[in-house]
Amino acid sequence: MFKQAWQRWLERRLPRAAQVRLDQRRIFIFPSGYGFLYVLVAVLLFIGGINYENNLILGLCFVMLSLFVVTILHTYRNLSGLSLRAGASRSGFAGGQGALQVVLIAQRRAHRSLWLSWLDQPPQEISIEPGEESALWFNLPLPRRGRVTPPRLRVQSRYPLGLLRSWSLVALDQACRAWPRPQSTAQCPADGGDGHREVARAGQIGSEEFQGLRAYAPGDSLRQVDWKGYARGRGLHVKLFQEPANGRLWLRYQRLEGQGMEARLSVLCYWVLRLTRENRPFALELPDATLAPGQGDEHRQRALDLLARHGGPR
Amino acid sequence: MARIYQIPSHARTWLTLGIVAASLPQLLRGPLWQAALLLLVLGWRALIERQRLASPGRLVRLALLVATVAATWRSFGRLHGPEAGTALITSLFALKYLELVSKRDAYVLIVLGYFVCATVLLFYRGPGAALYVSGCLLLLTASLAGINYSDTHARRRQHVRTAAVLLGQALPLAVVLFILVPRVAPMWSMPLGGGQARTGMSDTMSPGQVSSLTESSALAFRVEFQGPPPPPRERYWRGLTYSYFDGTTWSQARPRGWRDRDTLYRGRGAAPPWYQSLLAARGDAAGYRYRVIMEPSQRRWLYALAVPFTDLDGMGLARDWRLVADHAVDTALGYRVHSVPAARAGALTLEQAERDLMLSLPEGGNPRARALAEQWRRQYRDNSARVNAALGYFRQRPFHYTLQPPRLSGDTVDGFLFGTRRGFCEHYASAFTFLMRAAGVPARVVAGYQGGEMNAGEYLQVRQYDAHAWAEVWLSGQGWVRVDPTGAVAPERVELGLRGALQRAGDGADAALGGIGRLPLLFQLRQWVDYLDFNWQKWVLGYRQDQQRALWQRLLGGVSPWRVGLALMVSLAVFAAVLGAWVLLRRRDRPITPLQREFHRLRRALARRDLTAPAAASAAELAALVSRARPTAARAAGHWRCLFEQLAYRGEQPPARAELAALARRRRALLRALRR
Repeated sequence: MFKQAWQRWLERRLPRAAQVRLDQRRIFIFPSGYGFLYVLVAVLLFIGGINYENNLILGLCFVMLSLFVVTILHTYRNLSGLSLRAGASRSGFAGGQGALQVVLIAQRRAHRSLWLSWLDQPPQEISIEPGEESALWFNLPLPRRGRVTPPRLRVQSRYPLGLLRSWSLVALDQACRAWPRPQSTAQCPADGGDGHREVARAGQIGSEEFQGLRAYAPGDSLRQVDWKGYARGRGLHVKLFQEPANGRLWLRYQRLEGQGMEARLSVLCYWVLRLTRENRPFALELPDATLAPGQGDEHRQRALDLLARHGGPR
Repeated sequence: MARIYQIPSHARTWLTLGIVAASLPQLLRGPLWQAALLLLVLGWRALIERQRLASPGRLVRLALLVATVAATWRSFGRLHGPEAGTALITSLFALKYLELVSKRDAYVLIVLGYFVCATVLLFYRGPGAALYVSGCLLLLTASLAGINYSDTHARRRQHVRTAAVLLGQALPLAVVLFILVPRVAPMWSMPLGGGQARTGMSDTMSPGQVSSLTESSALAFRVEFQGPPPPPRERYWRGLTYSYFDGTTWSQARPRGWRDRDTLYRGRGAAPPWYQSLLAARGDAAGYRYRVIMEPSQRRWLYALAVPFTDLDGMGLARDWRLVADHAVDTALGYRVHSVPAARAGALTLEQAERDLMLSLPEGGNPRARALAEQWRRQYRDNSARVNAALGYFRQRPFHYTLQPPRLSGDTVDGFLFGTRRGFCEHYASAFTFLMRAAGVPARVVAGYQGGEMNAGEYLQVRQYDAHAWAEVWLSGQGWVRVDPTGAVAPERVELGLRGALQRAGDGADAALGGIGRLPLLFQLRQWVDYLDFNWQKWVLGYRQDQQRALWQRLLGGVSPWRVGLALMVSLAVFAAVLGAWVLLRRRDRPITPLQREFHRLRRALARRDLTAPAAASAAELAALVSRARPTAARAAGHWRCLFEQLAYRGEQPPARAELAALARRRRALLRALRR
């Protein structure tokens, strides 16, 4: 109840954005435990100074208190002006982990000893000098398939004296894509090719025939790289195989009947991975989207993303 | 094992230095085992950091703790009180350093360090001590900054710079707090005690004692007058009166049957009649207003000119016009006095018990002095004539003023009056009072200080060698009247002070004063140091309620609580605003290069001439802008641009001073070309 109200308040005060610059609206500041200890000692000195009528001890107490006040400003200053930008993301399978990149930008001043964390993960410490950018990756557990938005990132700093803690809860407009958890089946939910033939076992190269080499292009499967030739210094090339005339498979969502949506997607995911591993071209057909035939790592990526997006917002 | 690295190595240096610096004063004055303990801890710590030795286990730490507490108990006989408490805290501080592992330990250690710094100030209070503690503060704050910046790229010096900046920025607010935070009265009394006995007046006087005082040039007290100070011959600082003589020693005494509260009024309860009549006699006479700042004397009596009036806060006025503090003066004490000589007229009656005491003499002894006094008694009916006879006696007989009189024993008064005839104030005061009492004139010895030197025309320094003793006699119709028999023998002692008197007399005793008369430069230097010390005492150590009130009155035009509260709030707000603006809005957070500065200068100069360049203009764009707008200046602009680009883009090598100067010349040439 209270937690929800707090989240709503945060949502209003610190809305999600692609880039966030920390300012007085976004920074909270409060004494740390040691700050309280420090103030306690200062108060003790005040009592001692009054009772011993010792103005030097009182003076020391006042210097300590003023130092505390000055430190409020400096602790705030250490966060103020820091910009955070949503960076790249790494997808993962549901139940596993994805990762998100956050880019920290120091525009005008150095930001020292920043502790960044979300959830219960151990914080990462970083210092940035003015004019620099630094990127940090944060792991994000993916509990279910689809788009997983990260919780608020806690940016915290105790610099310079550790007497105060300034922090902000940053919500960046970024998300991880969670692919379905692969679920193996014996039957490939595919049309085409040689009808309903058994697909060759994993690890075995299919019945393609070697055709020749072509220069490597990004997105080509690393399995097809001619590593031997590369080792001989002939450059990075990809082996081309002749596609069996009927080797093009259509993985179809509709072919898996009598199962829930997530289970169907899990099976499709398994086959996408397996066919890619076997260097077999495939196409994917979902009720609301279709992926044209293709093969290779990039194709696999597209297929997985399609599976992850299915049923969610476009 | 890895936990040790929670404290970055670049911070450890400052931490160690801070600990040593904060403990050092206590080690110098405390028992020797404390220094040994710290050395042990430092050595152990160094070995731990080189991984030669493991951190001490819980058992070892416990054993060390018990040993430390036991040693403190043995050295001081207790664990509380300032002396023992400071020793204990300093030792615990060292032990805490031994078990330093995590960042948390470091925090606790450093915050404890601030506390140890405060204990230093319990015992050392000079400007030097304050400076020293500021240094400790810098070190401790630097270690605090160090443990909070665990980047491996951090440099040692950086932490000190951070700490210095923070402390520098904190200072103005600290000063404001110092001035404005009200000083309240102590919540409970915490006597420092245990101080060494200092030179100064004692409860008793037996001729021969004051000479040891005279050799000390230590400061007794300082006086700051509002208005002109009294002339030197009137500067009799009364401290205590001796009214009982046992044949060799004078001591303080109360009239028979009187109690403490009959002779001392502390400002509480109804004012006794004698006090009321003094107040009535004071009327609104001007007198002298001044503030005395007394050095610790470990005694209760205070010094003032006759007849002193104060607010009686923490002190009382005795019936014989002395000020008596409620507690022994164990720290520098400042008090304001309004002395009105005319108020003597308020004490014109002498009660019988008092008269008896002031005439009392031992049963026998000193027959020749008694015979001489008896002769005066018969010869003169009037008391003042008897006083003059005695003074005349001192003047006419060959008496000498000297600091090195021969020793006296047996009938000391006879021996002095008819034998040696050499002595200093004590001998004269003692012999004179004896003669007066024997002649039937109530008399008492007064001890205190006489004279004092003005420093920088601002305040009077009274030193231990200004100690003096004189007499007061009771004359009917006049009350107690001061008589200084020393003045009859050596008037220059009263007029010029002891130093002057000795210089004039050419007495060899000059050496007794440490030869200060002979080294004018050294003397001058000492005066300066004393001046600094005086102002320190006055504005820092002695800044108490009364002075605070006076300053508030001057600064704020009033002392009402809301006024002070408002001043505090306003200054806090102004401080926060100014510092906030300075810290947060400072344009140049990143240091800019001389070349960038040159660029911005030209850009601003052009903007003033209505040639505003776009936000991200390059040097080429700047030059093009000029060429387009004022073709006549195109050449000059091209010159500037050429050199600028050459300096900016030639690589690593930063521009030399001469090159920058050339660039500045070209900029000025360009601006001149624009004018044409």
